[in-house]
Amino acid sequence: MTSCSTLVLGMGNSILSDDGVGLLVAERLRDSQLPGHVEVRLSEVAGLRLLELVRGFTHVIIIDALRSPADAGRDPGEIVRYESKDFKGGQRWGSAHSIGIDTALELGRKLGCDMPEDVTVFAIEAVDVETFGEELSPPVAAAAERVISMVREELGAA
Amino acid sequence: MRKVSVDPITRLEGHGKIEIFVDDDNKVQNVYFQIPELRGFERFCVGRPVEELARITPRICGVCPEAHHMAATKAIDAVFGVEPTPTASMLRELLYQAFFVTDHTTHFYILAGPDFIMGPESDPAKRNILGVINKVGLETGGAVINLRSEAAELISMIGGKQIHPVCGLPGGVSTAITAEQRDRMVQITTGMIEFAKFSLQLFDDVVLGNNDYVDLIKSDAFTHATYNMGVVDANNKVNFYDGPIRVTGPDGAELEKFEGKDYLDHIAEHVEPYSYLTYPYLKSVGWKGFVDGMDSGVYRASPLSRLNASDGMATPLAQEAYERFYSTLGGKPVNATLATHWARLVELLYSAERAHELATDPEIINPDVRNIPTGIVGEGVGVVEAPRGTLYHHYKTDDKGMVTNVNLIVGTTNNNASISMSLKKAAEGLLTGGKEISEGTLNMIEMAFRAYDPCFGCATHTLPGDMPLEVVVKNETTHDVIAKAKRNM
Repeated sequence: MTSCSTLVLGMGNSILSDDGVGLLVAERLRDSQLPGHVEVRLSEVAGLRLLELVRGFTHVIIIDALRSPADAGRDPGEIVRYESKDFKGGQRWGSAHSIGIDTALELGRKLGCDMPEDVTVFAIEAVDVETFGEELSPPVAAAAERVISMVREELGAA
Repeated sequence: MRKVSVDPITRLEGHGKIEIFVDDDNKVQNVYFQIPELRGFERFCVGRPVEELARITPRICGVCPEAHHMAATKAIDAVFGVEPTPTASMLRELLYQAFFVTDHTTHFYILAGPDFIMGPESDPAKRNILGVINKVGLETGGAVINLRSEAAELISMIGGKQIHPVCGLPGGVSTAITAEQRDRMVQITTGMIEFAKFSLQLFDDVVLGNNDYVDLIKSDAFTHATYNMGVVDANNKVNFYDGPIRVTGPDGAELEKFEGKDYLDHIAEHVEPYSYLTYPYLKSVGWKGFVDGMDSGVYRASPLSRLNASDGMATPLAQEAYERFYSTLGGKPVNATLATHWARLVELLYSAERAHELATDPEIINPDVRNIPTGIVGEGVGVVEAPRGTLYHHYKTDDKGMVTNVNLIVGTTNNNASISMSLKKAAEGLLTGGKEISEGTLNMIEMAFRAYDPCFGCATHTLPGDMPLEVVVKNETTHDVIAKAKRNM
């Protein structure tokens, strides 16, 4: 790891239908031509293990599936982009199983770990993350293509 | 009690919910605990080569992949009718103990710690790991992170990968370890013992040194006299990796001891219309509803129940801690749900000591780590103790080893009935009437739940990551919401 490096982190569950989209996007990006400072990782875990995965990188781009509450009015396959600043100020209740990304970052910084300065999240509104399967729903599969372009653009590799 | 209509209790999608129904005086009438379910796990597995289940089942959830890998590997041994070599068993167990050290540590410092170290009614914005670190010092936080990273290093040396181990094969493991790797493991496990001792000392200072906490732990609101389940060794000492399953009663006497493969003769599952998750109970005692006592087949499978169901710990320092646990809490069995946190630390010390024993055993570097299977039985059960309770994997295959049937009982599912009972009793003890229900009170009700370290990630095969849990207090007649809290479990 260099001191000025970018991590592309695909998150999700590879056997839970649309929850695999982040992993698929990361795999596709890993197989493509990317600038030398970019590393791609896949993660099927969260919480403290996330802290351990991102330490040492300057910039982290996370791709994950999203399930919004019905009243949020999001369409399947909609792509939502979050920045580090969007995480701040939330009152998150930490747990062993799932500390939020904000808590993980803050905890890492407090403990003197080398935590990323910028975290960008591309979240894709999922249709189904509750059925075991390795296929994506059509709107999410289409969104995956768009996210790949968006991340490549972000990396200056478009 | 007035007749209560509970039609709003519908099955859930996406998050867990505790619904507490109270009367006009805010006295508890009933409590419902529900969690969502994922679909199609068995269908997903059927038709695949059974060896793949050791790699698929750990993906059910991101919390304890190692436990699923180990139960699956043992079930696959049984499907092929092959025993692992002695060194292979030792390597599997060493990996598994390192996983227990990580998991129990994480639970204590991150999930349980905020309640005790910050206080159960403290400001929720500070009642988290960051508050804990501010209070106990940065070096403790650093020690937790360091321990986790060293345990991960040990796990990846044996498991091949850090998070989802791939080492388990029918009849053994994929690779032996070198003397250099062994030396590093000795170093790591030495540090684990020191860390476990430190954690028990911290519990002494923070929890046992505070009379209010001791009273809370011992209070009736947090007590249930159920049966206790746990895997034991030949001397009835706690074992996480292998051995028969022992069940003891609320009176402390042994009810039964059985082999994992016979679990269906001993455990049945009760179903409620409002919950996806079943309620396992002891067949020989029978389902008598959500009640405790000798006549109710409700059992617990947790760190506390493992201590209750055993005659002690197989390592010296953990045995000392075990004896102190019972002498402080008034003898066996201990039925205080919140004592589970202390029991978890006794187990943490055992895991660390046992990992060190295994790492220092000269046989650990023996290169003979695989017996190649030569036939197929076509059915197998694998049982381990997962951090949250006894984990059963049961597979059936055709004569080519393709999966035809899968059944899992996961750690948390064992405790479904007792979690529901603990929530109700805590609610009854804490909501004693009056209009105001504070966030702190709701948090204390949830403490009854957190003691079990519930992880519904795999209990319902749900998604890893955030799983919101909602606690709602409603008027039983009008269904008006009186108080509400939501957090991520």
